[in-house]
Amino acid sequence: MDAEELSSLVGAAADGDGHAWEALVDHFSGLVWSVVGAYGLTWADAADVTQVTWLRLVEHLGRLRDPTRLGAWLVTTTRRECLDRLRAANRESPAGNERSFENLEFGGPSPEMRMLQSERESLVWRAFRQLGDRCQELIRVLILTQPALSYQEVADALEMPIGSIGPTRARCLDELRRRLGSGVSTGF
Amino acid sequence: MRQDDGITGGKQAAGSVEHDPLWHELVALLPAADPVPPEIALIGRSSFSWRTIDAELAELAYDSVGASPVGLRGSDGPRQLTFVAPSVTIELQVVPVGERRQLLGLLVPARDARVVVRHHDGIAAVQTDETGRFEVEDLAPGPGSLRCQMVGNEGGAPVVTDWVNL
Repeated sequence: MDAEELSSLVGAAADGDGHAWEALVDHFSGLVWSVVGAYGLTWADAADVTQVTWLRLVEHLGRLRDPTRLGAWLVTTTRRECLDRLRAANRESPAGNERSFENLEFGGPSPEMRMLQSERESLVWRAFRQLGDRCQELIRVLILTQPALSYQEVADALEMPIGSIGPTRARCLDELRRRLGSGVSTGF
Repeated sequence: MRQDDGITGGKQAAGSVEHDPLWHELVALLPAADPVPPEIALIGRSSFSWRTIDAELAELAYDSVGASPVGLRGSDGPRQLTFVAPSVTIELQVVPVGERRQLLGLLVPARDARVVVRHHDGIAAVQTDETGRFEVEDLAPGPGSLRCQMVGNEGGAPVVTDWVNL
């Protein structure tokens, strides 16, 4: 979807076009999920955060400063709601710290949906889910929002300096590699 | 060693990560490992029915929950929200009552208004008193937004607050 098409859909939805709205939701649901899924939220909280994000957009459609940056707007809104959810639930989620296995699955999609083909994929996925929120969020947003968001938009949306994306990502990958390397045979 | 300065923008940032096999594993793995759950994908579609026409938007300007650092055990006291519209500011306290919520609100400047709580659980309607205060009892937690219609100005634009998770 190019900028012109996006702008046009936002304008149409602001004027009450339900089909335009649905096209926006369908296009950006993956992007919203890329953020929500990074945090160890319960299923109910994940649904609430998603709902608040979309509901808030409904009233902001005609007020967006730059409709072509809707993707970044959604990422920022979603992550702030996720952080508020964690604060409100009095949960500790310091950036970069380890997670317990209890937080890994929030009882959402059924195991069959994770169409993992190999033991290696399962290991990588499990190790990835053990990374801190910031690492998961950054990697998920970088991978799952392409090509919707440029690196500048990712930086803005995640409220981090663009110069720190590269080093942070590298550090996260190093940690992932460390976790995978400890006691796991590659056989690969 | 940097191949180029990709930090100034553009889609491909420089650095060794793009040559890192682990990164490419993640690029292939993530979309398959964690697709958007169907229930989540449907949530956005139904939100459009809450759209208001020609309402004045009172944007969330302050949230006491957001003001506290993550990881710090907050008090169990009321959460304070401030919504700002051009014509009115709405202060809201969200008081936990067991698993439910009580809302204590104030319109500034004080206005005679009918306040409707828009909520997935239904709609609650209350009236402000002469000081601009209102109260809503026994609300379920979850997404909510207030819609205020000023008395004596029923033909005028209502004020709606940004949706928040109560």
